[in-house]
Amino acid sequence: MTRSITLGQYIPGESVIHHLNPRLKIVILVLVLVLLFLLETYSGLIFALALAVALFVLAGIPFSYLLRGLRPIFYIALFALIIYFFFTSGGVVLFRIGFLTVESEGVEQGLFIVARLVALVLFSLLVTLTTTPLSLTHGIGFFMKPLRYVGLPTEEVAMIMTVALRFIPTLMEESQRLMRAQLARGADFETGSIFRRARSMVPLIVPLFVSAFRRADELALAMEARGFRIGAKRTRMHQDVILFRDWAVLFFVLALIVLALNINI
Amino acid sequence: MFVGTEQLTHVYMPGTPFSTKALRDISFSFQKGEFALIIGPSGSGKSTLIQHLNGLLRPTSGRVIFEGKNIGRDKRDLLHLRRRIGLVFQMPEEQFFSETVFDEIAFAPRNQGFAENEVKIRVDEALEKTGLKGLDLKGRHPFQLSAGQKRLVAVAAVLSVNPEVLILDEPTVALDNTGRDNLFDLLTELNREEGLTVIISTHHLDEAAALASSVLVLKQGELVMSGPAEDIFSERDQLYNLGLALPPVNEIMHGIFEKGFSVNTSVYTLKEARREINKLIRRDKP
Repeated sequence: MTRSITLGQYIPGESVIHHLNPRLKIVILVLVLVLLFLLETYSGLIFALALAVALFVLAGIPFSYLLRGLRPIFYIALFALIIYFFFTSGGVVLFRIGFLTVESEGVEQGLFIVARLVALVLFSLLVTLTTTPLSLTHGIGFFMKPLRYVGLPTEEVAMIMTVALRFIPTLMEESQRLMRAQLARGADFETGSIFRRARSMVPLIVPLFVSAFRRADELALAMEARGFRIGAKRTRMHQDVILFRDWAVLFFVLALIVLALNINI
Repeated sequence: MFVGTEQLTHVYMPGTPFSTKALRDISFSFQKGEFALIIGPSGSGKSTLIQHLNGLLRPTSGRVIFEGKNIGRDKRDLLHLRRRIGLVFQMPEEQFFSETVFDEIAFAPRNQGFAENEVKIRVDEALEKTGLKGLDLKGRHPFQLSAGQKRLVAVAAVLSVNPEVLILDEPTVALDNTGRDNLFDLLTELNREEGLTVIISTHHLDEAAALASSVLVLKQGELVMSGPAEDIFSERDQLYNLGLALPPVNEIMHGIFEKGFSVNTSVYTLKEARREINKLIRRDKP
């Protein structure tokens, strides 16, 4: 019965990128994102874009996922292009539409911004596609640790995030099951006014809440029974070890960044 | 063909790295008035198959047939179809959302557009059929009932639209013996007296075996055996290999047979078994 539902976006794989330590992966992502903002030339950006695509190939992610990941920024990109094309002056006038002029400076800047945006999304996407949500949370949890000194219960917050992530697919599967179950009883979720449709959600929402609360109770009991205590030190089944090859990748990326910046400036 | 499929294949999440073939190339047909069993270990595709039969899931390829016709996509047709083919899900009491038993049972007939006085009649009929009428449950909160009562209310909530086919997915899960007996008494009565076609999925054969007329055996999404119940249950070794045990009564009869006594091994109820054994004792007396 348990079917894998895509949680977040993770696509299983065995590539170097999949196996990179999640903590370092986050560090590298941040470095790369900063670098993207420092790049000022087209050649630099094109290199970054080419690198991103090459890494997608290396990770064995189907091309369709890359395009699907870019879909949400399509309108933002389009909007940016329009603004830059029409409202940035400077350079040669390329053409005119009524009182609006498109000038070369605007085209250049617009395309540059969009290319940067695409690169930002691609690199972030690469991380979310190749890292399980669980390791991502652990990675983020690690960087949140210093916040403990200002009184934030970081271990517990990480635990909450982990549990929440763990139950997203369960609840999704359950809501689909409930939906079909109520459909079998003749429920209609699609037609009618907005109020009617809101009312038609009751047969889904009530049982979903009931079971979510029941699950929460059971989970709390099960965790306590296995010795979970708030504030106690926890160990993990999969120790987060940074291997030599992880360091190697990090230094490689650092070298690449330094190189890129030197060529750039 | 009354209810059945032709070369039904279902793939979950097709076109993604997560795509899984849940059913492959399933063809079968049940006659009107049958008591059919779909058996197989969990994860064998029973629930997926069942949900095709009233159009909740769409075949990736192949056809689902009801009364000789392909099940279509039209929403009105599907609503009508779901009135004629009732489906009780696994753990159906988890779908309860109403504040009273009455509203819970009235949900389906109301969705079918019956007038409120007609709905009342339907609810009463459903309560009567399920033997809950005398208990005066209508105004109670569904969560207050016992597990067995909840299950019966869930069945009543489907019976309230007078389906011609009643499909139940793992109907005995999480029920105690009394609950199971009550449920099977009800199903037997509906099948024999009301002529309802009953289709049950299950992973253990106990009570269901005695009632079955046709059996499908699924394994990892494939139809490995199908046919009349007697034929299937006589293939004891093959069922064993599939990880399916015959009902205990039947096992005992097989045991007696293997000890060298000639008894009829296709016996599934205690009553029949007693008769067989009595016969044997009488025969052996000098």
